[in-house]
Amino acid sequence: MSVPRLLRRVVFAVSATLVAGSFVGGGSPPIASASFSYQRISGEGSSWAANAIDAMRVNVRQFGITVDYNPSGSTAGRRNFLNGTVDFAASDIPFQFSPEDGSAPENPAPGSYAYIPVTAGGTSFMYNLQINGKRVTNLRLSGENVAKIFTGVITTWNDPAIAADNPGLTMPARTIVPVVRSDGSGSSAQFTKWMIAEHGALWTEFCNRSGRAPACGNTSFYPTIPGMIAQNGDLGVAGYVSQGFAEGAIGYVNYSYALNAQFPVAKVLNEAGYYTEPTPDNVAVSLLQARINTNEADPTVYLTQQLEGVYNDTDPRSYQLSSYSYLIVPTKVAGQFNEDKGATVGAFAYYALCQAQQQWASVGYSPMPINLVEASFDQIRKIPGVVVQDIDIASCDNPTFSANGTNVLAQNAPQPQACDQQGSVSQCPNGTGGLSNVPTDVLAGPVTGGTTPAGGTTPAGGSTPAGGSTPAAGSTPAGGSVPGAATGTTLPGSNGGVDAGTGGQGCDADTGLCAGGSSGTPTGGGTATGGAAGAIATTVLPQPSGWGGSTVLLLLVIALTLGLVLTPALAWRRFSSKEPA
Amino acid sequence: MTSTLTKSADDGGSRSMGDAFDEAFEGEFGELRFADDPAPLTVLAGHPGPEAPPAVRRAVRKWSRNELLPLLGSLVSALSTTMLLFGRFTSMEGVIGFLAVFFLVFLLTYAVVVSLTENRPAVYDRVMTVLMASAAVVALCALFSVIVYVFIRGVKALVHTNFYVDDLSSTGPLDPLTKGGISHAIVGTLIMTLISLVITVPLGIACSVYLNETRSRLTSLVRTVVTAMTALPSILAGLFIFATWVLILGFERSGLAASIAISIMTLPIMIRSADVVLRLVPGNLREASAALGAPQWRTVWHVVLPTARSGLTTSVILGIARGVGETAPVLLTAGFTSSMNLNPNEGPMVSLPLTAYMLVRSGQPEQMARGFGTAAVLMVLVLILFSIARVLGGRPAGQLSKRQARGTVARSSRDLQRIEARRLAAASSDVTVAPIALSAGAPPYSSKESS
Amino acid sequence: MAGVTMEAFGAGGAVETTSVDHVATGEPAPPRRLVVRKGRGDRIFFGGASFSGAFVLAIMVAVGVFLAIQASQALKSSGFSFLTTSVWQPDRGEFGIAAIMLGTVLIALVAVAIALPISMGTALFITEVAPKWLRSWLIALVDLMAAVPSVVYGLWGAYLLQGKIVGLSRWINAWFGWIPFLDVARADPNSPLSSESVYTASTFIAGVVVAMMVMPIQCVVMREVFSQVPLGEREGAYALGSTRWGMIRVVALPFGRGGIIGGTMLGLGRALGETIAVVMIISPRFDLNFHVLEAGSNSVSSHIALLTFESSGFGLSALMAAGLALFAVTLVVNFTASWFVARSRSGASSEA
Repeated sequence: MSVPRLLRRVVFAVSATLVAGSFVGGGSPPIASASFSYQRISGEGSSWAANAIDAMRVNVRQFGITVDYNPSGSTAGRRNFLNGTVDFAASDIPFQFSPEDGSAPENPAPGSYAYIPVTAGGTSFMYNLQINGKRVTNLRLSGENVAKIFTGVITTWNDPAIAADNPGLTMPARTIVPVVRSDGSGSSAQFTKWMIAEHGALWTEFCNRSGRAPACGNTSFYPTIPGMIAQNGDLGVAGYVSQGFAEGAIGYVNYSYALNAQFPVAKVLNEAGYYTEPTPDNVAVSLLQARINTNEADPTVYLTQQLEGVYNDTDPRSYQLSSYSYLIVPTKVAGQFNEDKGATVGAFAYYALCQAQQQWASVGYSPMPINLVEASFDQIRKIPGVVVQDIDIASCDNPTFSANGTNVLAQNAPQPQACDQQGSVSQCPNGTGGLSNVPTDVLAGPVTGGTTPAGGTTPAGGSTPAGGSTPAAGSTPAGGSVPGAATGTTLPGSNGGVDAGTGGQGCDADTGLCAGGSSGTPTGGGTATGGAAGAIATTVLPQPSGWGGSTVLLLLVIALTLGLVLTPALAWRRFSSKEPA
Repeated sequence: MTSTLTKSADDGGSRSMGDAFDEAFEGEFGELRFADDPAPLTVLAGHPGPEAPPAVRRAVRKWSRNELLPLLGSLVSALSTTMLLFGRFTSMEGVIGFLAVFFLVFLLTYAVVVSLTENRPAVYDRVMTVLMASAAVVALCALFSVIVYVFIRGVKALVHTNFYVDDLSSTGPLDPLTKGGISHAIVGTLIMTLISLVITVPLGIACSVYLNETRSRLTSLVRTVVTAMTALPSILAGLFIFATWVLILGFERSGLAASIAISIMTLPIMIRSADVVLRLVPGNLREASAALGAPQWRTVWHVVLPTARSGLTTSVILGIARGVGETAPVLLTAGFTSSMNLNPNEGPMVSLPLTAYMLVRSGQPEQMARGFGTAAVLMVLVLILFSIARVLGGRPAGQLSKRQARGTVARSSRDLQRIEARRLAAASSDVTVAPIALSAGAPPYSSKESS
Repeated sequence: MAGVTMEAFGAGGAVETTSVDHVATGEPAPPRRLVVRKGRGDRIFFGGASFSGAFVLAIMVAVGVFLAIQASQALKSSGFSFLTTSVWQPDRGEFGIAAIMLGTVLIALVAVAIALPISMGTALFITEVAPKWLRSWLIALVDLMAAVPSVVYGLWGAYLLQGKIVGLSRWINAWFGWIPFLDVARADPNSPLSSESVYTASTFIAGVVVAMMVMPIQCVVMREVFSQVPLGEREGAYALGSTRWGMIRVVALPFGRGGIIGGTMLGLGRALGETIAVVMIISPRFDLNFHVLEAGSNSVSSHIALLTFESSGFGLSALMAAGLALFAVTLVVNFTASWFVARSRSGASSEA
């Protein structure tokens, strides 16, 4: 095994100079001298940023740098950094010197670490929802509804508040299953911080209900109540939401996970009244309002983020839950961390800040602005043993950089469509997240009788509140269904031309019954005529299972059938046994 | 006397002594093993053994046509009835429901059909037989569904050669399956297994020898504690190593740490099964060896351990198979990596189960295929270990395969010739020739037997 | 056997001196104390063996003592409330194992309830019904089932079973939801639109998966016990005209009772400690949740697996306390199991 490895080393040593030379242009590669051998370094932490770090891990292999990264959550990353069992940590939030949730304070030795912001991204709400067997890809949620969903206030998808956000969708009466993080996570911390800032009352009430009572501050450990699912890591949340049985689930993960899992994310309402998606462009726009602590004298806060400005950003493109994620690198030699490893960590950090930035958009993250990159280069110098590189920052090819220092990416970010505006007659049919190419049929708007083309440009200030006008009256509230009650859910304005192409799921949205027949309900009988696009999808609700009149009939049928089969045999036995054997 | 005997035992073909004794005793007294005895320290020398009941159980029933036809008929009838019920007469649906209803209808029909010709106890008998058989069928179906499912989900990754020879160091989550593999996990598992073998095998076997060959208060204490530690949940072994080795002693999370955690977990399991195996070594072998004047270490080394070799191997392999498949202790002690690491002392090292766990969680189709492929590889590895254990461990202590038996006979006759030669040579001198006395006639204490 | 012993007659290594029992012969028994001079080889041998025994003892005791010492810090601060508190916030001083231990026990009970009939049926089928050629195959397959790594069962449970079994959960909830512990909050089985997710990640599903691991363990013990049913009694039952089931009912089951109970408890012990399969399925929650079909459960071992890296020093101590409590429970269960097996008629030579 070691021979090919050695061979690879040699090849890389040669190719690294070539590749780096062409790749970075004028910029120097991470230590070009072939005689230098990198130490293996191991890191742990954020699963929110794990896709970005994973992409870097793969790319730095060509320079002979081996990085081991364990995406076990920001809290675990910081803890293990404190324990000295890793060479660097990745965390979405800084060390918690005085945590508000009652967890133990993290007290790293002063001057033993430095924050390096490496990537930005949006905490997105990935969901699994179907209407009439077709996956919804254009869900919109106001911030308040997001908070209500994740505090258990709104429990069904057809809640009027959600319906009001989605005038173009006939929301099903399906239970919402919020999926949260079970481990200590930076994204939970960012999310709860946002919720406390924007919808504090909801959070406090939820926190009291969950038994976390006195310590209701911003927390990395999301409290749960029955009805919620908690999963380990962004991987776990995304993995759960993307399962077939998880219909109705919604979880918070980094945008990149929705892209990878090919699932949509909810567009969230911003201060400007637009529902936006955390695309790299929008995140870059939003983070223009992030206040970065520039007090270099205080390393405990230097370069950390204050995101209140992002929450209140009135740019129509902004996404409220945008944030930076950090590498935490050691600045002192201690334990297993030595100068050789420091050199490798430094080279890795240089790569992360320069070359890696240009590929962030393709993996779902947003590149760093020039001021943070410059400040971070200074931070890297603090790593013991680092081989300082004199990088011409213009050569990094970072999409945010420009000659005059403004953030090009943010400037050129496209404005949202008019149909994304709050109060628009309908909503954009365009898909989001990993299903951006899959549009969803939308009702063209009840007032205009279904003739307005989807994505119409009328912002329609005085449009009828959509919630009351959707023809969803047929969907009986769960629990109140009468035996045999038929519910016709019709889509009058359903755009026949737009075929979602996601109808092959085999599961019926209204009955929850999959074609595979996984449901063991003996009294089912839900048949859905999955007609062509635009046809009326009629759904017959199954009779309620339970001990009722229909059940007696069912049992009678079974008994009669069995009787029909078995009576002759039993009769024969009775009569034959009377004869002497 | 002792010294003389030791000397002669030394000179003799000590390697085959146990086997030779076995042969000798077998020839003379017939079956002398008391495999059921918990502590066969001594045997009834010369005792012919209790009148053995027929060793084989009689088969009390055979499948006749008269039994088979009602069964098949009921199956067909139940199937038809259930199909009628489902979708025709009622609105029942679902695979699980179908199977459940089918099974109940089948039982009922079968009971009725049997009752046409048989009396009540016979009906009970047949129905219970069917129930027992279905329990076995359920268990097997579950096993097969596990194996088949893992292979089906993993086959997309398993068909690529790179899956076995590459690691994931240059492979991102979205790369196609033609890139990257799990060689790092395979190598990691092998290294961890090797290290824990090095730790557990000598320690485990020495400890079980200690439990079997000595008697003291400490012995029973050790046995009790070892028994208790078999109840140790594997995660606690991991937690212990993480807290001591990593946090207190300040070592890295590494392959070595994981190996130690696995060793702590498998050691008690191994000691216990080895203890049982050693206990089954017939006491007469030990006594014969002792009677020949062999010191106890020779008895253990040349008689007890070789006799129990296959059983010991089995217990070691089964312990290792358990250790190979453990995820929990590795999760806490090994760290995580996607790159090959050949150094167990430095840097994280992953095992197959940990890799499978981490890869599958991602939910991305390629990574999941890799994860299931990893699980399939793990299962094949365990299957191989398990098959080796079956082949080796099919026989109880001291029983030999045909080839081994032939070898033993050959060695034994060579020994005999040499001993005879020595006896002839010794007859001319004054040296006592004790061993021959034993094999020549009945032991002197045979008259003391009770019963 | 008991009556006869061998007087070690002065051979080199024999250190065993056992009192001679002369019940049968009635001869006066002059007990001889034998003094054995051990050679250098034996001294080394005994030294080595004793060392390894003591070493193993030391390791094992070290594990237990270390856990206990580490746990004591947390236990001291929480006191008795450790057993009654269900939330887990050690750094705030509020932590206890009530919820996680309840989850552990419930998962194990579900597992045993499912595994017991199957393992007993399989064991009886193997020993009493199956033809000889099938028997060896079945034994091998059941042993193989015991050897399949738990992560594989976890994968199977989380990705195949979980999707399939929600229908069953829903059905049970619909028909037997009136039984308190089969109720599911926020689920309306009568509504076709209620999410199936409310039935996922439950104690029940975790229990089914753990049952797969427990089943072979129980089956092995029971099979061994049933195979030791005295032939004479079997033949006697048959001679009296018993059917096979009759023989099983009056001979095999009473004979093997100890083994059945012991095997069941052995399986219970394993089920209590299972980690990774449970981690893969459940969604952790920290309230006293008796509803086995409802989403969310917890177990001590999965709790440790999830929280070890995130805990502060005191949190780790609390985790050790939880681990120690789990260990205590499995210990009691395992010793009870071996007590049952050893005490039973069949158990004298059983390996359980």
